[in-house]
Amino acid sequence: MVRLITHNLLACHVRGCNSNNFPLQFQDVQIGLREAEFNPDFLRGFLPKIEWNALVDSARQLGDTSLPAEQPVMIDDDFLKTLHHVLLEIHVEEGAMVCPNCKHVYPISNGIPNMLLADHEIG
Amino acid sequence: MPSDVTTVSVSGNPDEYEDEHVHTVYDEIAGHFSSTRYKPWPIIAQFISSLPAGWVGLDSGTGNGKYLPLPLDRPGQLWTIGLDRSINLLRIAQTVGQKHREVVLGNVLDVPWRRGAFDYAISIATIHHLSTHERRKTAVKSLLQSISPDYGRALIYVWAMEQDSLSKRIIPGGQQTGETQVVTDKDKRGVDVFVPWVLKEPSSNRSNIPARHTSHQGTSPLTIMHESSAKAFNRFYHMFAAGELEQLVIEAAEDMNIQLGPKSTDSSINAGVSGIAVVQSGWERSNYYIELQRWRI
Repeated sequence: MVRLITHNLLACHVRGCNSNNFPLQFQDVQIGLREAEFNPDFLRGFLPKIEWNALVDSARQLGDTSLPAEQPVMIDDDFLKTLHHVLLEIHVEEGAMVCPNCKHVYPISNGIPNMLLADHEIG
Repeated sequence: MPSDVTTVSVSGNPDEYEDEHVHTVYDEIAGHFSSTRYKPWPIIAQFISSLPAGWVGLDSGTGNGKYLPLPLDRPGQLWTIGLDRSINLLRIAQTVGQKHREVVLGNVLDVPWRRGAFDYAISIATIHHLSTHERRKTAVKSLLQSISPDYGRALIYVWAMEQDSLSKRIIPGGQQTGETQVVTDKDKRGVDVFVPWVLKEPSSNRSNIPARHTSHQGTSPLTIMHESSAKAFNRFYHMFAAGELEQLVIEAAEDMNIQLGPKSTDSSINAGVSGIAVVQSGWERSNYYIELQRWRI
């Protein structure tokens, strides 16, 4: 699957593409929503490591505008449930991710992103 | 002489060699292979159990994803993302443990991530499928570059020349043993072998194999027809010698310009110095393993 938890970690790795290579931009996506178990301990621990702006922008590309532009100071259950939905319940099934810098296209098929590169593209 | 394992010498382009003797094989045998791989090894389960809630990890060479559901006693407190080169194994890993998992098609030589984005990484029974020393070192470097330079933790397992007496396999040049081997020679290298996988029935996945793989004629060692219904696939392995995995880590640290050893407590050391500590290493059930932790001052 490509959920936003994974998307927030992926970056373009084409040879020489070292800056502005994150976050990858979604293109022509089909998404599915699936309920996942809510785990507040996980979310509280993961929160400080999220690239927040990338998460907010990417969620908007997928049509979800529920996250605040700034990470809130007070972390309550309502916020964690919103975060849970955005990170773990939106599945990108088909489409692609495009590097904002070099425009390399990483296809997504049956929920699996293809991050393989040809020999000459490898960094 | 057991019919099992035979030594080979690697030749040609290593990418193509691994495509033929590793990736294509796993794509063909994925279903059968997965049905035999379900039980996590104890040291790996312990390692993952020791990690705090909220950590995100990479399983580099996840195969059928059997480590993705861990820790079983507190599910959902960690997220492990599986990377593999075999799309058919990933399709199994995608729903391992009856839940949706995060999996990525990729090469363990690459770093398709924000550098240092993961809290931990494991690479279990994977690096031994790479066909040159240089590529095995690159895989270790890629793993270390994926985890936090401040505290990231890693665990690597590879197959050993020294096989458990309970193991069914006998490795040419290896020893049967029940104990950890003493490191004797830092330049000691393991042995390159084919380990066959016999499919009793024709694979249902054959139509997924790209044409260029099926176009090999008689000379290809990829498949050998045994009987009308059984087929043997030769998987490439580099069986590690004692001390060789540690040596790979030493060379990877050198290449990355980071110190190897425990975090320095010397206050005269400049800020920004980084290193990697060996938490534990050893031999378990026919495998060598090493656990590492990155640190930065």
